Amino acid sequence: MDKAAGSAKCLVVDIGQGALDLTAALEFVSDPGFGGISLFVGRVRDLNHDRAVHGVSYDMFEPLALSVFAQAAAEAQKQCGPRMKVYVAHARGRLQVGDLAVVVAVGTPHRDEAFRACRSVIEAVKHRAPIWKQEHYADGDSVWSEGCSLCDDSKLRAGPLENEAQPQHD
Amino acid sequence: MRIELRLFGAFRELDSSAQINLEIADGARVSELRKAVLAYGEQHWPEFRAGLLLRSAFASEVAILRDGDLVPVQGQMVLLPPVSGG
Repeated sequence: MDKAAGSAKCLVVDIGQGALDLTAALEFVSDPGFGGISLFVGRVRDLNHDRAVHGVSYDMFEPLALSVFAQAAAEAQKQCGPRMKVYVAHARGRLQVGDLAVVVAVGTPHRDEAFRACRSVIEAVKHRAPIWKQEHYADGDSVWSEGCSLCDDSKLRAGPLENEAQPQHD
Repeated sequence: MRIELRLFGAFRELDSSAQINLEIADGARVSELRKAVLAYGEQHWPEFRAGLLLRSAFASEVAILRDGDLVPVQGQMVLLPPVSGG
């Protein structure tokens, strides 16, 4: 699915249909008036919590994920723009080690706002988008990563009822 | 009110259809839906972890809802465990 609105382009790419496209990202954020482009690429790594990884699967609630991408781009443009183009793409499905999982590109007149906006967008994607990663380990085990809760009152509810360790999300 | 609740991430592992149907009172709030899911999970899912549900959010097709919000009358909801994208 693809969602483009003027200076921002947000999409989800099913890995079965192809890989994320870095060239497309750079082309979208390019502009004769932009001297700076910041590009973040997230790839599948071969180790997680000291366990060898063979691959990961991404599940997502796509309509809301795309809305979060667009909102993150709008926030970055408001904070660091307004002259800016933003590209956000995330893969879904089963990926192998080294595959591209997420791409964020930002084009701006100067480097400072490009760096800041790119960081802002990728942090929003990681912490706010309804996307879930399942690690597939070399020993055959598969585990869903538990990262950031999307409900800001979850700690109040968890309180004394919650005996499980709080997960880490990098 | 009938609720069709779609499941994602770790919750998908608990139900092969990735969706459960629940009956809750008309005008119920999200907190009551959460209690209904808790009861359903404890009854139907041997691997269910209440802690994961407590850290999970509920959403409509377009927005995340808080525990004090009314459940939309359309009845289409999603259950969102803690996220781990990127």
